[in-house]
Amino acid sequence: MERFFANLSNELFKLRKRKKYLVFLILGSAICVASALRVLIVNYITDGGVSRQAILGGLMSSNLTFLLLLFLPLMAIMATCDLFVGEQVDHTIRFSLMRPVGKGKIFFSKAAAAFLLCAFDLAVMYVVTTLTQVCLGGGTEGILTSLGASLLDLIPLAVLVLFFSLINQLVKGSSLTVLLCVVCYVGLLILGTYTPAVGGLVFTGYLRWHNLWIGITLPLLSLLPRIGLLAGYGLVFGCCGYLLFDRREA
Amino acid sequence: MDTVLSLDHVSKIYPNGRGARNITFSVERGQVVGLLGPNGSGKTTIMKSITGLSQPTEGTVTVFGADAADRERALAKVGSLIEQPALYENLTAQDHLRMAARYYPNVDQARMDKVLEIVGLAPYRKERCGKFSLGMKQRMGLGLALLSEPELMILDEPTNGLDIEATVEIREIIIRLAKEKGVTFLVASHLASEIEKMCDKVLVLHEGEMLSFDTKEEALRLNPSLEDYFLAKVRDKKGSVVL
Repeated sequence: MERFFANLSNELFKLRKRKKYLVFLILGSAICVASALRVLIVNYITDGGVSRQAILGGLMSSNLTFLLLLFLPLMAIMATCDLFVGEQVDHTIRFSLMRPVGKGKIFFSKAAAAFLLCAFDLAVMYVVTTLTQVCLGGGTEGILTSLGASLLDLIPLAVLVLFFSLINQLVKGSSLTVLLCVVCYVGLLILGTYTPAVGGLVFTGYLRWHNLWIGITLPLLSLLPRIGLLAGYGLVFGCCGYLLFDRREA
Repeated sequence: MDTVLSLDHVSKIYPNGRGARNITFSVERGQVVGLLGPNGSGKTTIMKSITGLSQPTEGTVTVFGADAADRERALAKVGSLIEQPALYENLTAQDHLRMAARYYPNVDQARMDKVLEIVGLAPYRKERCGKFSLGMKQRMGLGLALLSEPELMILDEPTNGLDIEATVEIREIIIRLAKEKGVTFLVASHLASEIEKMCDKVLVLHEGEMLSFDTKEEALRLNPSLEDYFLAKVRDKKGSVVL
């Protein structure tokens, strides 16, 4: 595992050195703050008479939809494409491949780095949103629930990162891979939304995983098939992605 | 003698029909072996098969007694520079060395400084590699290959893009490491004069086929230079095809 963590450190270092991720993080944080200001302004204009605590109480929960369906998948696409196909195209992937580290460790450490970047962004958004809520007089209501929800949502996010890592092994061009990731992701979202019959089977339907656990009291047994389904998707994406990565020439 | 590298009937054929066919040879500890052949003769293909960058279609590659597919064991004592160096444009020379050092427990800051001194990049340690000239990138690639003090070095056209002084320097480094530290080298070049100046053994490749594998003395016994030796081997092959 020592070499897995060595490679993971390198992948995280490479992501940290790319300024676009910082720019996107600042942009995402600004959107979270703006969403709080928006509801306050709307309430002020419409003179709704609702207290600030009631308006801002579930700020993170409302921001989670934007983060989980749009922002974090976008970050995951960018990170996986930079670490996989981007390095294949400019041959920098040889930097790791010429070192004494197994290809499996390289593949999974790259996927883990993309996942950790998304998790870090989610954590920053949580802190920014919570601080905004408190500073604007929304109190501390719902903060712990939001924390639990954010932690739960990391599980489908990991599956999504493995899915994008798999797509990165299918084609050779950077732009084509980004396009393919976006098209597949949007396609799956639409499929899950407009086709209720298969909606429960598509993994993108579980991106707001916390909905199954928080607010709705479902018995654990009824959740087991969904947990199994998500784990199955993760296994299939991880194994297929690794197999294709292993066979790819550098 | 201690065999550090052996290829047994290794073939790697690309979809376009090019590659290397039926390559068999072994390298002993401390030897400097040159792969001599024109562009497209299969030198890089062989080196990629040894370092695990591509998998042979047939045959087995053994490095320090381990199958090349077992990357962690096979590459533990190997340093390599294949084609152009794998450098990240936005990272500095120091960043690259730090990243590479994470894979080897014996590499510390002192070793990184020493490597930068050896390849002459110490003044540029904080410069981004994207700003480096071709020669500096080549030196950086060599530095990364040297970092872990490997026992086997696989170098594909190591003096590519270097000026005369740097070419001589690199050649001297190779000869010195082989003599003083017993480092084994496999060096590919399409320049016979370069191979002649530093190698103990020479392997001639042409159109993916191995034409000969002789010691330098043997090669020069009937030929005035390695260039003539190479041309004689190619003529022999073409002659045998005509017959």
